[in-house]
Amino acid sequence: MELELIPVKTRILTSKDDIVDTIEKYAKDKIGPDDVVSVAESVVAITQGRLTSPEELKPGFLAKVMCRFVPQKGSLSSVYGMQAAMNVEGEWRMAFAMVVGLLAKVVGRNGVFYELAGEQAALIDDVTGTMPPFDKSIVYGPHDPNGVAEAIKQRLGCYGAAVADVNDLKRAAVLGVSSELQPEKLAQILIDNPFGNASQRTPIVIIKNYAKVAAKATA
Amino acid sequence: MEWLLGILVVIVIVILGVWLFIAQQGDAEVKFLVDNRTAFTLTEVTKEQAVFSCQVPFVNKGPQDGTIMDCYPRHLLPQEQFDATELVSWIALVKSPRRDGYFEALIVPKTTGDTVEITLKFIAKNGDIRTSMADMVDFTLDIVYQIVARSEWYITKERMTVTATELIQALEVGTANA
Repeated sequence: MELELIPVKTRILTSKDDIVDTIEKYAKDKIGPDDVVSVAESVVAITQGRLTSPEELKPGFLAKVMCRFVPQKGSLSSVYGMQAAMNVEGEWRMAFAMVVGLLAKVVGRNGVFYELAGEQAALIDDVTGTMPPFDKSIVYGPHDPNGVAEAIKQRLGCYGAAVADVNDLKRAAVLGVSSELQPEKLAQILIDNPFGNASQRTPIVIIKNYAKVAAKATA
Repeated sequence: MEWLLGILVVIVIVILGVWLFIAQQGDAEVKFLVDNRTAFTLTEVTKEQAVFSCQVPFVNKGPQDGTIMDCYPRHLLPQEQFDATELVSWIALVKSPRRDGYFEALIVPKTTGDTVEITLKFIAKNGDIRTSMADMVDFTLDIVYQIVARSEWYITKERMTVTATELIQALEVGTANA
């Protein structure tokens, strides 16, 4: 018995959709009691309405200055990505994190800014980070990913569920899991990005036989 | 009082340092090179309609990455000037063509560029595109685009002229080759 990853295609989901209803609609017949259902974090966030756009934001002085100190590939390197993060994490918290982060960098310690600035500073996706029509939006991280995972598990009767942030650069993070699942282990399983690219529209991945394989491994 | 003065000097130096850092950093500078565009060629033709396209390169000349949030053509061909056809226009990246008029937001890394294709679809009001295009006129077409980068977003445009000669020639050549 081996793990099998099954991507599930959906239509483009919006804030009018409920993620648990959607999984039930598109994947119910494919999900068994030994399976883990994983869902892409940006899609969960979109269904929760957690997005904004540059046109809706008014960047302040701090955002204009601070975005200049973020390397170009980061979502906070644009003035709107920075302002969006500040709106949820607090301007002064992020300013403090930036100062401490820069000082930490001077002494050779990276990543301090993201440790101090709050969860959304790391999760936010700037424009172009998501598929059309959300490519012109800034998408926050999902709200209560553990709760979402638990709700999926309860509704679908599967072994477990997870909300994951995975990309093609072999970076995988599991933001939320239902009870008794280990995020690190699931991240490793999803490392090759079975969600595919945005145009493939497969925001749900079923990890088949997870419970049986886990039981066998511990036996 | 000396310590107060010292703090003020440090603050001024920090502010000056940040300002200099931002000033030397610069920002994205995206420009559509309309002078380097190709001539329009015929891509589709039926009895009622003709579709033409041309390619326009763009570059980000600035020292920072920039994002083209949106980009669309605005053709200025009023019925007072030419009333024989309806005209629909759209822009898409050459490397990822699409016909829905939607421009997917695109990061343009500093000192790089790419190429868009502008498509013009003329639909004859009298049902015969060849006779309708006979009296075509030169007209203006703006490439309108929205940029966001390190500083606040803005919308700007580049203007080009579509000549009647190139469209009529393209129709003749395309039809002859068909």
